[in-house]
Formats: sequence, structure tokens, C-alpha cells
Amino acid sequence: MKIAVCIKRVPDSETRVKIAADGRSLDEAGVKFILNPYDEFAVEEALRRKEKAGTGEVVVLALGPAAAQETIRTALAMGADRGVLLQTEGVHADGLETAKALAAELKDAGFDLILFGKMAIDDHNHQVGPMVAELLDLPCVTTVAHLEIDGAKGTAEREVEGGVEVVEFPLPAVLTTDKGLNEPRYPALKGIMAAKKKPLDVKPTAPGPGAIEILALTPPPERQAGKIVGEGAAAVPELVRLLREEAKVL
Amino acid sequence: MAEGAGGGERFVPAQYQPRLPLDRLIMEDGADGAGDRMELDVVIVGAGPAGLACAIELAQLAKRDGTELNIGVLDKAEALGEHSLSGAVVNPRAFRELFPDLKDSDFPFRGPVTNERVCLLTARRGITLPTPPTMHNAGYYVASLCEIVRWLGQRAEALGVNLFTGFPAASLLVAGRRVAGVRTAATGLDRAGQPLANYLAPNDLVARVTALAEGTRGSLAQAWLEWQGVGADNPQIFALGVKELWETKQPLDAIVHTLGWPLPNDAFGGSFMYPLEPNLVALGLVVGLDYKDAGLDVHVLLQRMKLHPLFRRVLEGGEMVEWGAKTIPEGGYYSVPARRSGDGAVMLGDSAGFVDVPSLKGIHYAMQSGMFAARAIFAGLKAGDVTAARLAEYDRLVNTSFIMRDLYRTRNMRLAFKRGFCAGGLAAGLMTLTGGRFPGRKIAMEPDAAVPRRPTPGAGSESPLVPDGQLTFSKVDGVFKSGNATRDTIPTHLVVGADVPGAVAEFYARLCPAGVYEVAQGALRVNAPNCVDCKATDVLGPRWTPREGGSGPKYKRM
Amino acid sequence: MSNVLAVLEQRDGTLRKVSHEVVTGARRLADALGGGANVDALVLAGGSVRGADQLGGFGADRVVTLTNPAFGGYAPEGYARAIADRVKAGGYGAVVFAASATGKDLAPRVAARLDRPLAQDVTDVSVAGGAVIAIRPVYAGKALLKVRIAGSPAIVSLRPNVFTPVQRPKAGIQETVAVAGTAGRVVVKQIKAAPAGTLDVAEAPIVVSGGRGLKEPANFKVLEALAAAFGGRAAVGASRAVVDAGWRPHADQVGQTGKTVSPTLYIAVGVSGAIQHLAGMRTSKIIVAINKDKEAPIFKVADYGIVGDLFEVVPKLTEAIKKLHG
Repeated sequence: MKIAVCIKRVPDSETRVKIAADGRSLDEAGVKFILNPYDEFAVEEALRRKEKAGTGEVVVLALGPAAAQETIRTALAMGADRGVLLQTEGVHADGLETAKALAAELKDAGFDLILFGKMAIDDHNHQVGPMVAELLDLPCVTTVAHLEIDGAKGTAEREVEGGVEVVEFPLPAVLTTDKGLNEPRYPALKGIMAAKKKPLDVKPTAPGPGAIEILALTPPPERQAGKIVGEGAAAVPELVRLLREEAKVL
Repeated sequence: MAEGAGGGERFVPAQYQPRLPLDRLIMEDGADGAGDRMELDVVIVGAGPAGLACAIELAQLAKRDGTELNIGVLDKAEALGEHSLSGAVVNPRAFRELFPDLKDSDFPFRGPVTNERVCLLTARRGITLPTPPTMHNAGYYVASLCEIVRWLGQRAEALGVNLFTGFPAASLLVAGRRVAGVRTAATGLDRAGQPLANYLAPNDLVARVTALAEGTRGSLAQAWLEWQGVGADNPQIFALGVKELWETKQPLDAIVHTLGWPLPNDAFGGSFMYPLEPNLVALGLVVGLDYKDAGLDVHVLLQRMKLHPLFRRVLEGGEMVEWGAKTIPEGGYYSVPARRSGDGAVMLGDSAGFVDVPSLKGIHYAMQSGMFAARAIFAGLKAGDVTAARLAEYDRLVNTSFIMRDLYRTRNMRLAFKRGFCAGGLAAGLMTLTGGRFPGRKIAMEPDAAVPRRPTPGAGSESPLVPDGQLTFSKVDGVFKSGNATRDTIPTHLVVGADVPGAVAEFYARLCPAGVYEVAQGALRVNAPNCVDCKATDVLGPRWTPREGGSGPKYKRM
Repeated sequence: MSNVLAVLEQRDGTLRKVSHEVVTGARRLADALGGGANVDALVLAGGSVRGADQLGGFGADRVVTLTNPAFGGYAPEGYARAIADRVKAGGYGAVVFAASATGKDLAPRVAARLDRPLAQDVTDVSVAGGAVIAIRPVYAGKALLKVRIAGSPAIVSLRPNVFTPVQRPKAGIQETVAVAGTAGRVVVKQIKAAPAGTLDVAEAPIVVSGGRGLKEPANFKVLEALAAAFGGRAAVGASRAVVDAGWRPHADQVGQTGKTVSPTLYIAVGVSGAIQHLAGMRTSKIIVAINKDKEAPIFKVADYGIVGDLFEVVPKLTEAIKKLHG
């Protein structure tokens, strides 16, 4: 099985968001970068599929700055075979341009599966996987939380409001992975050592500017201190009224 | 303060402290239970300034010599620097020696010290004192140890050193009297110690030389000293520092040290406030763990301290962005172990106690000790001999260097304060005047845990601090700001003594800055995931042992 | 001509409620674009769709049902193709989806087919200088990103529960168009009902959380009763202190080292509100706090608070909720 996993270098989810002086981006001073957590599910799934098949290759592909090599090494330490970095500069707000750059690299490479995390925890674009599928004219299932593959046919489950969608698709295909699909492994010491020697191709890339322009990045409005409705059980009717009429949540 | 007034019986913490769990910390090489086994030339435990300087110097020596050397550095933090915390004002001399081709401006410092002040505080006022000679910092740099460690780590990696972050060394592997390597902690265990789906077995890293650079109160370092029967003139003593990082509205233009309030007279310590940038201020309070009042709480004292005009002026309107805590070995010259080397092993930096309290410096001693160790190890490896006799060269290098010279000069200064601040201050002044010759003999110390504690008179009667969430914070808030996101379901890593009485449990609750210990319905409750690895209770109470890699704080600029 | 296309959702032939929000958002965008822009609502189905006739009330000028025997359930590829064709033919200035499970899957496919960018999960839309401006939460809601989408159509998906449906009567002319085409290679075989009684705190629309104020594990039955009163829509959560004490399973823990939740309604009972708890629930839409300590930090983030003994307040609240649902 030949599997590509598209991954992203993102700020740690614990990062305290500080807006840079330009008012449009994250101040990266002191920010720790990690492998996007949803992409870990994709890497893990690729490794399991390859291990199950007993043969194959797992290729990790990232688009990002030179420092994303570290992120690729993390995936290599988990067990992926080789990495490719499409090296770029700056922030890419338009997911379609990212998808085009990735699709160009993935085209005609003979992958049975192309995996993505369902979204990146930084920009929440939530689109690059299915866009790549459209650009490559491949079937695609997003936010996969359960997966079975039998030969050239796959069955995936994805969570929807109030239920679980059961989806069938033929391979080759593009899938985006959700929490619950698997429990990603920790890189082992041996894996970390081995990762240093695995091939990592760096290819300078310049995605198009796209049609989305970032105007501003701002902190969310402070949560307003609410009101004390009253004291003791006597305040319950008023609380229920407010929840119904003002907050409209009942 | 009247001693023991109405506050119940005094107690000695040592009485309730469990012994170091040597059976877990030292095991025969080849013992069952390990997954992978890897062979290296040198394994270094701890990616702090000592361990990384050692790795860099070793790699540089090997490179110059054209030898291939397989060096591995283990660290328990998930990423470089995340368990590193210091003031810090750094003496750059070790940097200059380790990187002769670089300039001071290339080093990961925030800026040179331009102004400095020492103040004696009362509850409302601050009196500027003449700066004691040991505390002059001209020519030194304000820095964040996290940043230093990340920078050193990158240098080491570029030289081919293997950095394994997220892998705590849990045990020393030994063969006879020789250290053969270390075993890492397992990952992916549940509360009951059963493996989870992503369980990763411990790994054995065997090496010709193992360097213990765990930092303050290292568990393997303690175990090695006990196992080898290595003593010192005095036991090691410690202080606990609690530190915060603030983004401020008002700039700070000087490094400031304070003495006096809010510490009681019979406690040794002081505060620091350093500008990393004019509006990025590190501040902290450091208190010797030989304090007498069992009710003393360093975190709470730091919170009160910030209400003093001297600090309030700077902090008001700003935001506390990080919080952390760490112990500091304060014993100085007489507490340095008689030897820091043995068959296949050396001990570096804070683990060996290379800290000069009067000048508040340790980072450059740590690095320098790592470099000396590297030279001795490299010579040993070249000669095919890494026995105790050969590695004793490391001790010789340290003993004849500025490290032990500096520690000797101030050998009794910290010790003089054991009888309280005023007597200590007078004695320290005399020592400075006489270049360390007064009082002419060693002041004997006892371990911190042997110092009797006075239960707080009428505990709870003084108004408790209610954190306002602006200037003052609770311990839980602090733990949150330390970045601690330890998995809640890991097995507990703290070994608590049996039958801890209520007064002692209360003492642990005050002692621990991270709210790990709580007294609920008269019983001691242990919230182990809160632990930020400061090691304070390892000194005075429950023992700390290595736990799953990546647990604990995630310091960024501490 | 810059009409707005609102792409709606149906399940089993009934329009999904989120469609009202999509029409509302589309209407707002059409009015901002000016020039008498119309809102065309589009729903794909196997046949007629119940509820489509009410969309005029929310501001749809025209409601088009695209029918195809293969479109009874969601057919990602078939839907994407049909919608893209419709957009190309209609020359729309903007296309609006719901950022629901289906919408988030469908919108990128349509956008790629149209070679147009996409702003997913937006919480606000407006128009400036003829261009659509969208605001989206990023960094897990720790910041808001404001973007301008140049050219047309601008494609956005709207975060559910943000665009409150507004009555804005328009003609709502009904049209049914049969379209050809297959479902595509990706086939939704069925929608399994979520297993009952195992509502996860991370997914429940209502969370009732307890802290140390509950005093002992057995008292959690008070919260379970309140959760039950919501008729299977609520889950019981717990603070770290309570989980550490072994009163509740770790899977129920809300907070920095537990689960991050953002339900529509979060009721914190006897929870003091340590920062690490707040980190896990502060993005909830409405927060209610019940605590006997009026200084408790939880009141600083709560929309509504009751100071009092939870053992008196909660049963009363349970009663009131039961009556409401009775």
C-alpha cells in the first residue's frame, strides 16, 4: 500500500494567542510548534494500514516554512518512510492555493490513499483535503472516525448531527481523519534515531496569492461578566425565564 | 515571633519522609522489563545548560579529532527547555569558552545589565541598599533559561548529538560498581499501572559513560551518591523559588533584588525582578527550605509581595503570562559531593551543587562543569579507559577551576543565615570584608528535613489571601500558567510517607507551590498531575520519582 | 447581477433547521450587496422537501428543489457537481452553506470545482467595497480572523447556532427541477443513530457539570436528575478536583487536561471556576453558575448566576425544566 499523508506545522494548542504588530498574524515569539494533532491520526492510520498490508510506503508531505522539516521528522520518527517539504514563506490564507500546490505534487504518484487531518488547529480552514480530492478527481470522505478497507473498496464512518454516516468508496481515495479513528503512537527512541537518516526532500514552492486577503486578526470579545439572577431557590423561575426569552437556549 | 506559641508540637519533617526508593532508581543492567536497547558512547541525563554544554564540547572534541562519537541526551520535558527555570542573570564566560568563534551578541541573551538595585523591604517601604560586592552584575546578561536551553540544543543537534526529549531516565543501569547506562520511564500506563493502547515500554540506553545532569535534586544523582557512599562536608540544602513572567504596561529599566519583607526574620531568601525586555518582566521569590514556620507558603508570599508598591508599580495593569517553581541547591562549597565521578559516571551542574548563592549564579558553573566533564570523558574514551580513576580527571579540573574557587570564597555566607536574617547579614558582611576568611571554619549544617518546624500559631486566623485574578493568583492558576497539561490518568509519581499527621499534611500543602498536596477532611490528598517538578517536597517530604515523559510544566520563557 | 445562493440541507425529505440560519445569513448578505440582490435557496433531494414552503418567511425570493432519485440522501460528489453547475449557470455573487457536518464536507468540493476560495465556519458576514468580508474563529476560538474575499462568487459556510433565524418575508417562489446525474463514487449507505445514553460531554448540546461543592459522590444524582430533565440532550461533566478524588470517571472531566466543550448551555454547579476548568468550557454559548460562594471565579464568566445552596436550587431547576419539556 502506498500512502501519502499531508501534514501541517501548527502552534501548540496551549499557545496563548498574541497578535503580532501587523495586526494580521500571530506573534510567533516563544510559540512552540507541533504536528497538527488531527494529522497525527492520519499518520497513525497510514502506518497501521501499511503494517497490515505488510508492504508499502508512507510518504509525508508538508507545505510550510523550512522549520516544518522538524514536523516531518516527527512523523518519520513515528514510522513514516520519507518526507517531502514544499517550502514556502509567509502565511497562506487561501486553502485552495495550498490544495493546488499539494495536488501538483501528489498527481500521478500512484498513491492508494492520501490522508489529511480533518482540519488544522491554527487556521481552521477545514477544506484542503476535499479540495485536493476534487483537483485530482479522486473520491473523498472527510472526518473519518472509523475505517475499514477491503481490497480496492473502503467503508468509513463519519459523525454527523445526531448520528453516524456510513460511507462506501473505492480506492484510490482521499480521506480526512477525525479524533476517535485511532490512538496515535508516541515516537520511540529507535524511531527518533532512524528518522534522522530517512530521506527528506525539500522543494521550494510558491503557491499563488489566492483571492482571500487577511484584514485583521483580533482577540475575541471578552466574555462579559453576567448577572447574578438572585439568591437561592427563589431565583429559579427568573433564571428559566432568562434562559428561554433572553438567551433562547431552552 | 514567639516560638511555638499556641501552635501545637514542633515536628521534624525527616521523621515522615520516605527513604529514597533505591530499588527503583538503581537496577542491574539486563534486568527484565525493557523494550528497545540502544548502545551509545555517552548518555547524558538532562538537557539543561550542564548536559548540553557537555554534549556540545564532546561533539566538538570528536569533530576536531575526526572520531565518531555517539552521544545521546535525554530529557523528561516534552520539548527542549520546558522544564528549565532560572532567574536569570548570566555570566557569559562559559559561553565564550564553549563558542570561541561567537560574540556575546550571538548568544541567546535578552540584554546586558545596565542598572541594578538592591532594596530592603518593609511592608510599605523599600530602602535602597548599597549593592553588596557579590551581587554586582555589570558585564552580565539578563536571559531566559528556556531560551538558552533551546539555543544550546539546536547547537548540539547541528553537531550530530541525539536529543531525546520526552524520555525521562527512571533508573541507573549498573554492573558491579560501574554505571552502564539508564532505563527510561514507560509511557502510556493507566492509574493502576496497567498498559494502555499506546503503551511504550522503557528503553535501555547503555553507554560507556553516563553523565548525570538532571539539575536540582536529581533522583538518579541522589541514588548514585547513596549507592556509591559518596558524602560531603555538609549535606546539600535547598531553597524554593517561585517565579512569574509578566507583560507589563510600565517599563522596568533595572534588575532589582530585595531582602526582608515579606519573609519572616528566621527565613533566608529574597526576591528578584529582571526585565527581559522593558515590558517583559521576570520576578520571583526564593526562600531557603530551612525556614522554621511550618505555615510558610512561598507562592502565597510571592502573591503578597506583588502588592508592595515596589512591584505593584511595575505590574499593575499588566498580565501574568507564565508561572513556575524550582528548587535551588544552596549548600555551596561544603555541600559539593567529595567526588562527582566514578566508574562510567560523572555528575554535573546543579545535580552536583555548583551554585554560588551570594552572587545568585549557577548557569555558567553548570556549563563549565559540563565542558570539563566532556574533556575528561573524551580523554578516557580515547584511552579506552573510563574507570573511576580516569574520570577523576573531571573532579581535578573542577577543583582547580574558578568553580570551586568562587564557591570557596563564599563558603559560609549562606550557612551564616541559619540563625536568622540579622545575624546572618552581619556575618555575611564580615565574610565579604575578609574575603571569606571569617569565621575561619566551616559552619556545620543539617539537612533541611532535619530542621524542626513550628506549626503555625492558630493557623487560619490571619486573613487568607483571596487571589484577585489581576495581580494575585491561586496555585491552580499558577499551574495552569506553567503550561502543565499532564495526562490526569498517569500513575502517581510521588511517594508519600505512611501515617502523616494532620500538621505535617498541612505543612506539605503550604510547601508545595503547585497545589499538589491538599488537606481535605483532615486527610492528605495528592493531586499528582499538578506537579511541576520543583522537587521541594522531595527535599522535605514526599519523594519525587520520574514519570511519563512530557508530563509536568511547559515553560516557554522562564 | 449578484444574487446569493443559499445551499440548504434536508434529511429524510424534511428540511433541517439549520437551513433557516443559512437563508437568514444569505438574506443579510444579499441586502448588504445591494442592487436588489435576490436570495435563491437550493435544496437537493429525492423528491419534494417538507418545510421548503416556509423559506420565503426567512427571506428567500426563490426556493429551488433539485430532484434526482440519487439525491435522497447526501451524495457528496453528485451534490457537488449539481451545485457547482447551478452556481456557474446562475452567476451568483455569493454562495452560502451551513458549516454543518454535511456543509463542511460539501463546500470545499464545490469551491474547488468553481476554482474559488472558501471561508468555512464564519460567524459574521458583511460587504465592504462590493467584496464579501467574513469573520471566522481561529486558534480554537482564541482569535478572530477577518478576511476579504475578492471576486465572485464568494463562498462561505456559516457556523451553526450563530445566525439566529429572522422573519423577513419574501416571495419564496417554489420551483422543482429534476436534474440528471449519478450519486458519484462515494456513497452514503446509511445514517446510524448515535448510541443512546452515552452522550459524551464533548458533544452534548447541554452540559451539567459538578465540582467539589457537591460534597460527596452520591450527590451527583442531583445533577443526573437535572440532566435527565433535558430529555437526553444533556451530559453530566465534572471538575478536575472531583475526578482526581475518584468521584467521577476521567472521561467526564471538563477542563484544560480534560475535555474542551462548547455546548449551547453549560450549567456549572458547585464548581469554583479555576482557570483550568474555565479553559475547557469558556467557549460555551451560555454559562449558568450555581454556587454558594458569591466570590467564586465562575461567576466572572457566567452569563447567569444563582448564589445559593445547590441542594435547594438544583432540584427546583430540575422541576422547572421538566415542566417545560412536560
